[in-house]
Amino acid sequence: MSSKRFLMNPMRTAKQGVQVNVGKDSDEYKEIVTTLSIHPNDMAAMGVSDGDRVMVKTEFGAAEFGCQTAKVPEGMIFVPYGPPTCKLMGGSTDGTGMPTSKGWEVEVEPIGGTQAESETE
Amino acid sequence: MVLVDIRETKSVKAADIFLQVRPGKDFELITILRAMIKDQPISETQIAETGLTMEQLQDFVSRMKAARFGVMFFGMGLSMTRGKHMNSAALLTLAAEMNAFTKFVAMPMRGHGNVTGADVIMRSQTGYPFGISFNRGYPRYNPGEFSTVDVLVRGDTDCAFIIGADPGATMPQPAIDHLARIPTIVLDPHVTHTSRLSRVHITTAPAGISAPGTAYRMDEIPLPLHPALESPYPSDEEVVRRINETLMKKPDWMGERPQILQTQI
Repeated sequence: MSSKRFLMNPMRTAKQGVQVNVGKDSDEYKEIVTTLSIHPNDMAAMGVSDGDRVMVKTEFGAAEFGCQTAKVPEGMIFVPYGPPTCKLMGGSTDGTGMPTSKGWEVEVEPIGGTQAESETE
Repeated sequence: MVLVDIRETKSVKAADIFLQVRPGKDFELITILRAMIKDQPISETQIAETGLTMEQLQDFVSRMKAARFGVMFFGMGLSMTRGKHMNSAALLTLAAEMNAFTKFVAMPMRGHGNVTGADVIMRSQTGYPFGISFNRGYPRYNPGEFSTVDVLVRGDTDCAFIIGADPGATMPQPAIDHLARIPTIVLDPHVTHTSRLSRVHITTAPAGISAPGTAYRMDEIPLPLHPALESPYPSDEEVVRRINETLMKKPDWMGERPQILQTQI
């Protein structure tokens, strides 16, 4: 297993929008905002498979996510906005009021273990 | 419908044409389109940088010009990536310039809830849609200075009142850390991440379901909401009104009460 640099794009999904109204304490919401969508080739390059845990690091912080193969471009990862993505964002808005929270470079490092294991810890 | 994105989203199924732009090249693409609609010379190399081809863009431009009423919907992919307001400004300029050929408008895509309503009401009451400071007794507007993230990250505020929003689950960590440091008061139908770091959480009735009001559609059409269910909780409006009434009973510590909005429209 080896770490790899990616272009990270947090986003919104319809499923996440529904869960926001159901309640953010639900397991479903937590899973949605901690699951990274990654291209199969990138998963293979890192030596991880579906459900494996990875640590995403930026210059501002780090957060743990689970991996999921998806139809996304190589070199890019996608995840719905939530408390884990907040940890990765810096406070500067470049004078615009809007923090940079899409299309920024991150390092993804496999940490071993699956989502189920991490929940039982 | 032409869809421009850095990846294939679910909207691809609804689109006639999908243009996959290279990440971070929105500004370049829009600037090239601005040149092309005016028949300015553009090289293949400049277009290649965006990940698209001359044929794709020529087709795109001719489709835009052939439309009788075109609309450009844009989202956070423009405003939250590098370039930010420059990307949005470029798109708005393209929409304005397209009006030399046909009717064209640009409209920001809105997320959940009544985001448009907040902008519309702030605009009608103060002249500005967001990023407003009242600390001199009159509204001043400056995104990047008075916008929420900046105010919180700088640590300017010593109190925060959050109504129907969850910055604790969406904002950058330095802003969340400041909300946790200061007395934060939350009004929300749910217990949110912000509620957990607040000193006070007041549960309110969900607007449109148990509380009446007006929501604004994305195109700024006001829609009256009639509650379908009863709620044991007060509405946001009632809580804010009661807080205001209590505040007005307090002595005027500044000597001269700053100009405030006495009534709600």
